[in-house]
Amino acid sequence: MSVAIRVDNLTKSYGGHKVIEKISFEVAEGEIFALLGANGAGKTTTLECIEGIRGYEEGTIEVKGKLGVQLQSSSLPENITAREAFKLFCKWNKVAENMELFANFGLAELQNKQYKAMSTGQKRRLHLALALINNADIIFLDEPTSGLDVEGRVSLHKYIRGLREQGKTLIMASHDMAEVESLCDKIIILKDGVIAFSGTAAELTSSYLSKSKIQLKTKMPLAKQDFLYSTYMGMQQGYITVQAVEIGDALLELLNHLKASQNEVLDLKIERASLEQRFMEIATEVKE
Amino acid sequence: MDAFLYGAMLQWKLDLRNKVILLTYYVVPLVFFGFMGAIFSSINPEAKNSLIQSMTIFGVTMGAFLGTPPPLIELYGSDIMKAYKVGGIPLWTAAVNNFISAFFHLFIMSFIIFLLAPLAFGAKVPENISVYFFALTVFIIVSLSVGTALGLLIKSISKLTIFSQIIFLPSLMLSGIMFPTSLLPSVLEKAGMIFPATWGLKTMLSSELRLNLFLPLLMIFLLSASINIYKISRAGIE
Repeated sequence: MSVAIRVDNLTKSYGGHKVIEKISFEVAEGEIFALLGANGAGKTTTLECIEGIRGYEEGTIEVKGKLGVQLQSSSLPENITAREAFKLFCKWNKVAENMELFANFGLAELQNKQYKAMSTGQKRRLHLALALINNADIIFLDEPTSGLDVEGRVSLHKYIRGLREQGKTLIMASHDMAEVESLCDKIIILKDGVIAFSGTAAELTSSYLSKSKIQLKTKMPLAKQDFLYSTYMGMQQGYITVQAVEIGDALLELLNHLKASQNEVLDLKIERASLEQRFMEIATEVKE
Repeated sequence: MDAFLYGAMLQWKLDLRNKVILLTYYVVPLVFFGFMGAIFSSINPEAKNSLIQSMTIFGVTMGAFLGTPPPLIELYGSDIMKAYKVGGIPLWTAAVNNFISAFFHLFIMSFIIFLLAPLAFGAKVPENISVYFFALTVFIIVSLSVGTALGLLIKSISKLTIFSQIIFLPSLMLSGIMFPTSLLPSVLEKAGMIFPATWGLKTMLSSELRLNLFLPLLMIFLLSASINIYKISRAGIE
């Protein structure tokens, strides 16, 4: 698969403070790529450098294809209507008004509604339609489903998947980990302007410090010192709870111990760490 | 060209929907005209000779200095600029469309005063109507160029309010539209010469095209247009 975007050693400062520092990554064609990070981590700056909105001091950015950018709300004059904005952007992009696209985002019934009177979700739908008018090859989505109801969210996810099937490359910034997990092929987490993680959602959930929880009910009680590969968390209603990074090692240890002490498992529950927990660990650097 | 014309027409429509713009381009100038026209023409019959010009100068100055800059601050100081940039809309179009729209609004307001003043207050119609409208056109362009510079130079609405008033109020007091400049101390009379309103009044009262009266307007225009071109060329660069 060829590369749609290549970012190499990108550095950007504001007033002498480096917001992003020597970050490098690639986005493959047809990929849905997520850029994550806490507020101020540098993800919007990174996106805006790639989009050409902002300049940068060091590094190179190579983009292969036409860009379409969906901005957050508050990005249009207050009293412009949905239809007028759509028409204006179509005219400047020298494309015919694609009313099917307009209708696909539920904008037909909003066509005479002024921007200031639209809900956040309606504004997002309008901005997404504007991002797609020029039949872009690479589409940037900034928190695309924020403010949308469940129906809108599901419909947009379907649309995003449809864009990928058409071979489009999508780059999204999002705070919704469930969305990232279900949609994205690759994730980058930025922390203080540098890349703290790069990989797939599966790699993220199976790595790092987050510990999965094991809840165990045994015939005979267990003691704290029975656990080597896991951390004892406490006991409640007959269940002992431990946390472990390597859940396989911890389970093996437990089962061997139970076998050796001729104990018996009455119940066993395993709760794997979620993408959100992993993200929080990396973004806030909680080390145990 | 099609996109540019649509953008200009759209800005005209957006301005008509904007209550603040309507107030500064039409309502306040025309109410002021109605109120002051009645007072001026009753206490000093000679005021009728310059009523059209003075009321027009007030309206245009108000519209250009108080009405034109805020949309520019809203646009160039917000994410709208990003939306335009990524949407393939050149950033200069925002300032140019705002200028064109304001020009037509202020011209219409001026034309209403031109039509109503003789009927309502017996105001004297300009001797040479073509010179009057040429001078009016030049004055609106120069005033809008200054207003555009204010909108591009100042980053916040609160600061703009202060700076606009600093230019707007002396324009009224020192230009001769409220009372003859000969009544002013010579320092203030000279200070009044830096404002477009002073030269706008002189050119609009004149029955012939006199280059020496238009020259100061041309200089003010060149200065403000240079600022505008520089600021627009720098817009969006970080």
